[in-house]
Amino acid sequence: MALRTHEAVADVPVGVALPRRPSFALRREGRLAYALLTPTLLVILFLVAYPFCAAVLLSLQDKMVGAPGRYVGLANYLELLQDEVFLRTAWNSIVYTVVAVALKFVLGLTMALILDQERRWNNFFRTLLFVPWAVPIVIVALNWRWIYDDLSGFLNNFLITTHLSRNIISWLSDPGLAMGCVIAVVVWAGTPFYSMTFLAGLQAIPKELYEAAEIDGASVVKQFFYVTVPRLRTIFLTTVMLSTIWTATNLQFVLLLTRGGPASRTEIFPHLAYTTALGARRLGMGAAVTLAFFPLLVILILLLTRRMLRPADD
Amino acid sequence: MRAARMTRRQVLKGAGVTAVVATSPWWMVGKSQAQRAKKIVFWHVPNFTPLADELQKQQVYEFAKQAGVKESEVEYAVVANESFQPKLAAAIEAGNPPDVARLYESNVQYYAALGHLLDVHDLVEKMRREPKGIFESALTSVVYKGRAMGVPLAVNPWPVHARLDLLEQAKVEYPKTWDEFVETSKKIQSPPRLFAFGLCLGLVEDTTDNVMNLLWCYGGKMVEADNKTVVMSSPENVAGVKMIDAMFKTHKIIPPGAISWDNSGNNKAYQSKQAAFVMNPSSIYAYLDGNDKDLQKVTGLFPVPAGPKGTVNQIDTWAYGAFKKNPYPELAKGLLEYFMHPANYDKIIQSTGGRWVPVYKRLFDSPFWKERPAFKHFIQMAETGVPVSYAGSPTPAAGEVLNTHVIPKMIQRVLVENWEAAKALDECQKRIVEIYARYARG
Amino acid sequence: MRSVSGTRRVLRRIGDGLLVLMLVWTLVPFYWMIVTSLKKDKEIYGFEATLIPRQPTLANYTRLFKTTPFVKYLRNSTIIALGTTITSLVFGCLGAYALARLRFPGRALIARGLVFTYLVPPALLFIPLFAVMSTLRLVDTHQGLILAYLGFSVPFCTWLLMGYFRSVPLELEEAALVDGCTRLGSLVRIILPMSLPALAVVAFFSFTQSWNEFLYANVFVNSVEVRTITTGLTLFIVEDVFFWGPMMGASFISALPPLVLYLIFQRWVVKGLTLGAVKG
Repeated sequence: MALRTHEAVADVPVGVALPRRPSFALRREGRLAYALLTPTLLVILFLVAYPFCAAVLLSLQDKMVGAPGRYVGLANYLELLQDEVFLRTAWNSIVYTVVAVALKFVLGLTMALILDQERRWNNFFRTLLFVPWAVPIVIVALNWRWIYDDLSGFLNNFLITTHLSRNIISWLSDPGLAMGCVIAVVVWAGTPFYSMTFLAGLQAIPKELYEAAEIDGASVVKQFFYVTVPRLRTIFLTTVMLSTIWTATNLQFVLLLTRGGPASRTEIFPHLAYTTALGARRLGMGAAVTLAFFPLLVILILLLTRRMLRPADD
Repeated sequence: MRAARMTRRQVLKGAGVTAVVATSPWWMVGKSQAQRAKKIVFWHVPNFTPLADELQKQQVYEFAKQAGVKESEVEYAVVANESFQPKLAAAIEAGNPPDVARLYESNVQYYAALGHLLDVHDLVEKMRREPKGIFESALTSVVYKGRAMGVPLAVNPWPVHARLDLLEQAKVEYPKTWDEFVETSKKIQSPPRLFAFGLCLGLVEDTTDNVMNLLWCYGGKMVEADNKTVVMSSPENVAGVKMIDAMFKTHKIIPPGAISWDNSGNNKAYQSKQAAFVMNPSSIYAYLDGNDKDLQKVTGLFPVPAGPKGTVNQIDTWAYGAFKKNPYPELAKGLLEYFMHPANYDKIIQSTGGRWVPVYKRLFDSPFWKERPAFKHFIQMAETGVPVSYAGSPTPAAGEVLNTHVIPKMIQRVLVENWEAAKALDECQKRIVEIYARYARG
Repeated sequence: MRSVSGTRRVLRRIGDGLLVLMLVWTLVPFYWMIVTSLKKDKEIYGFEATLIPRQPTLANYTRLFKTTPFVKYLRNSTIIALGTTITSLVFGCLGAYALARLRFPGRALIARGLVFTYLVPPALLFIPLFAVMSTLRLVDTHQGLILAYLGFSVPFCTWLLMGYFRSVPLELEEAALVDGCTRLGSLVRIILPMSLPALAVVAFFSFTQSWNEFLYANVFVNSVEVRTITTGLTLFIVEDVFFWGPMMGASFISALPPLVLYLIFQRWVVKGLTLGAVKG
């Protein structure tokens, strides 16, 4: 029920409600629209589209830093596909992104549900749980590396002082633990974005809907799935999409925590691209590494935005 | 009609207002920050002591004044180490490199090969003519095709930092060979609080340095002196890698966390008294100079223990490079000459607490170096040291091997994934051959 | 069979428990950061590293303010974050209005294109972008960095605001248009006042994003006069030695402005996200 009402409201195309107008009015509207969009389009053109195209061209060249490039067609991509490290990186990147996003989603939703309950000091708690978002990623990563530190870190100190463990645990050196440790940091830093947007969504749901469901005899679980979830669907999509992109393209966590180690266990695309482009100074190859991961993200975004843009675009 | 005209006028008015609002931060920041024509652009990395930073900055401005360049025409930038590569790459790609920059050895060779650097041969020749001359070992790094393309700034030996107090407690001497080293290590360590050997094993530059230095003692090397023949999968290297493997797994004298250390890992382990031996340039010693005099007193700086093939010590060379794309090459060269003037240079050396090791031999005669027993072996180490690319020179290909952590990845194969030493070295050999081949193609 | 309100009471208790866990998870790393900044160097390293500082000291903070240009970094970060926020708000409002309310060819394409701009990672863009900055002679200026940040904040603002503007009831705007109000007039008089919470959200996000950005700030800035906090922090890494104390102190201070902003704007932010994202 709730689902249908919600969609009915959202699906009304914006233009329909306006009175039909002669075509010259429409043309004027078009001119105005482009005038209003000019700054945005300029920004996208010069600051995103141009550098992006430059990167695409770069990926087709054998180009070192400071040296002239030479077009080699798809040679860079072919070399990548034959590289065992590249394939491992692809797998790592997928695991890393999917697990991190899933955990952030679950934790964020839990936090949001808790903060939505009535409780004293709730505003204060909300601010506290928001803390990780306010800390720059560089610092988050450095601070966590300090926490994981084998000899001076908080975790080992805590475990040994409280006699929970007798040995040092090498969090970031252990091939079984490293990826989990990196993901934990990504989740710590990214959860507030989820809890904030979800909380906002929860608070927008009219209380009457729950009351009505309750009168109909729906249990709390049913209320969650039939009232809460449908109402939050759009917000879920927006949040997951933005966060997937941010997670998948972030370089700093891995660069500052593990540099892809131990033994390539945490090597992911942004970091591989970075070391290729700047460590090995192979700009063309670095661009190819980044672009090779692109199709996956594009497909994901097409899927997500189709659902979101539909009401407005027909 | 009337409505349409109003719309247009309002659109114009609106556009004007929004343009002003949107770009207001632009104008408010003030014109003073706008780019001016700079005559000297100098990039440096932070020094160990604020005093050294200050002195260096002073010298830049002193020189500018002498040369009749206004203060506003000088750009002095301190760039964090980790940020140097991306910044330099972007600047060079945009055709806008700094005029003078601090460069590591592989950078000098790389940019010299591409023709980005100014020839500074005359200046280096002049330095060599100073009384007692300079450490010739530094030249391997800065000479490209017979011409000096960078000015050697410091020759940094990589001694073993050793805890004298622990050796004394256990009534043992500093070990002469690696086998002795293992035995001594077992005696003085008390894990998990104190591991003996802080060998860097993470995916960072220091790991290549540490691992190669040990392999040299076993007769191994990465590439022959012809800079073409890669010899990674040699029996000597297998023996050396097996030694590291044994130290890590059997003798357990290396902290397990070393696998994820960055360049600071071994420093920190030593500074916090959690490792008794580490191989590192004197940055540790210099840090202790400012922060922990007690530990400094019981710190000895020794040559690396010997393997079956004797002992080899690493040095790395810092250099200044001057970029060609500069309308004022004479200013850049003049600045370098001013820096390297022994009197000016010595001031900075002394202010870094032993971090910079002077390239002029005679500066070792000053009490700063003479009166500290820790520096006893330094002259000899600086004299005979070899670069990390030994037996080859620090070519661009060797630079890529270092920057992409090929050798750390090899050692992690063995230590983390339990590969046979020979198999890991074969894989490593293949990667390095690929890299050298790519540069040979041009 | 338990009643719904009974279940809710149980859920409250569970919620209390979980809240405590979440607070611990969120705050312990932050605590470690603050504690480290209050310690002397010796106490930071090794097994002497204490969970509670034995001799708390403000020396790291004194060092920060006395011997480093930290105040300048703070100033620069503020100028740049505010500049980016104001500019992208204005650009975003205009663009979003067009996309939400006007009919024109290419609308769907542009709307979708906005999202794709995020896909392009900065690590790929910074070299070509540096060339743009060099040509415009904007390297090492506040303006240059603001311009670079517009690349990610304008699309973000436009996209979010588009959703919000759609949620403002059409009838209100139609009435205004019939009364002779122009399109821009109705944007300023009808839509914006109703979207204040949305503006707060968008402003808040672009502020924190610019405040925390690192890569561009690192590459496009050389001098102390323009350097921001995030890159200033990395100067506490000298070669292979980290000066953790002052670095953590600086980190703590740099996290305060976004936190204070959040505390102040929280009500707005919470309400703002609601309107846009749910109904957009």
